[in-house]
Amino acid sequence: MKKSILLISMAALLGGCGATTSIDEYRPNNSVMEINSDESVVILGRRDAGHYDTDREFISCVSGKMKGADIGVVPEQQFIDSIYPWFEPRTAPKGLKRLTRLMQDPDIKSQVDIQRIRYLVWLDGSTKTDNQGGSISCAIGPGGGGCFGFAQWEKSSIYEAIVWDLSDFSEKGRLRVDSAGTSYLIGAVAPIPLLTPVKKDACSSLGKQLKKFFSVQK
Amino acid sequence: MQITKIHLIASLLALFAITGCSSSAQVQVERNFPTVVSKPKAVSASIIFNDEFKNYVATPSKNTTIAIGSAQTLMLSNAFAGLFNKIEFVQSRDQVSFENALVITPLVQEVQVSTPSDTYLNVYEVWIKYSLDIQNAKGDQIDNWFMPAYGKTPDSFMLSKTNAIEEATVIALRDAGAKLLLDFYRIPSIYNWLVRERKLGDEQ
Repeated sequence: MKKSILLISMAALLGGCGATTSIDEYRPNNSVMEINSDESVVILGRRDAGHYDTDREFISCVSGKMKGADIGVVPEQQFIDSIYPWFEPRTAPKGLKRLTRLMQDPDIKSQVDIQRIRYLVWLDGSTKTDNQGGSISCAIGPGGGGCFGFAQWEKSSIYEAIVWDLSDFSEKGRLRVDSAGTSYLIGAVAPIPLLTPVKKDACSSLGKQLKKFFSVQK
Repeated sequence: MQITKIHLIASLLALFAITGCSSSAQVQVERNFPTVVSKPKAVSASIIFNDEFKNYVATPSKNTTIAIGSAQTLMLSNAFAGLFNKIEFVQSRDQVSFENALVITPLVQEVQVSTPSDTYLNVYEVWIKYSLDIQNAKGDQIDNWFMPAYGKTPDSFMLSKTNAIEEATVIALRDAGAKLLLDFYRIPSIYNWLVRERKLGDEQ
């Protein structure tokens, strides 16, 4: 009886660690995406904001989730290095006008053509930790150690993806993912973390949606 | 006897754990940088990389050192090669062999680092402040151009302070290359020098 209560409580606790994720997709028109398996897409992180950086780990996670789409995926760093210094935080085009001007340079255009890149996806966003509460303290000594207390914090991931088409320098769509959840740390001699995979959920949802975006509708 | 040994081991482990949390960082930046995509102009230049610049070790705080000498030499060599079609790299002024060229000596003015504990932002930041002493072949100064570069990297849970500062420094060095390529020919005194040299060339 005691065992079942313990198991039910644990399951309830773990169940409470799920993230709430929503995803929105917007396309400026109803035109069908031209997708060719010979062409590629590159997912790039925006890094020009002062107080955060769209982290590379998230970009590579989303790129990884897009495997299996009907288009190739070029790794971010490979593309940025091949076209250095035109996609650095200081120089990366923020709008389609600037991109059009950049692609008029034959040296830059040839680098893009060599890699057969058709679409650029700009990812902008971050994961934040808010509403931290509770306290936990740990002590270690020659006789042993342990942690006591309870702590909780909320995490939220908000990322927006903007898809640019390099064939006609137009915007093909926008996707936005919002994910939030609360994590707990229980100190009962050993610290027991009950972590909500907010960022992982955001990556997985956005990656799946982008994969659908770049797949031929059957 | 047995208990004393256990106490000693436990105390040593606790000591290692505490020293592992110290905030000092000795960073050695050694990376390869990509070649630049840029069409160099028909201008000759001699770049002076002296030993101080090539072996530069920044000390932004008493607990942090960043050895950027070889990385910045490599990065700026790459960037300068994208600016001038005729270029030589020398160690001192007396080794300059070009007759009608710009003579550029880059210098590091200052390196600054800020960590999440300084700013309460979740990023590590590095600023490298360069100055380029630009002269003509005769030794007349054309300009002393201030060139700041900036790099930041997110603070990751598993990223050590050393790795984070190295990552931010690499981004700052790449930013220096980007700024140089983007802004060098926009410096008014360089633009005027180019116009004057072209006029002289046309007259001769």
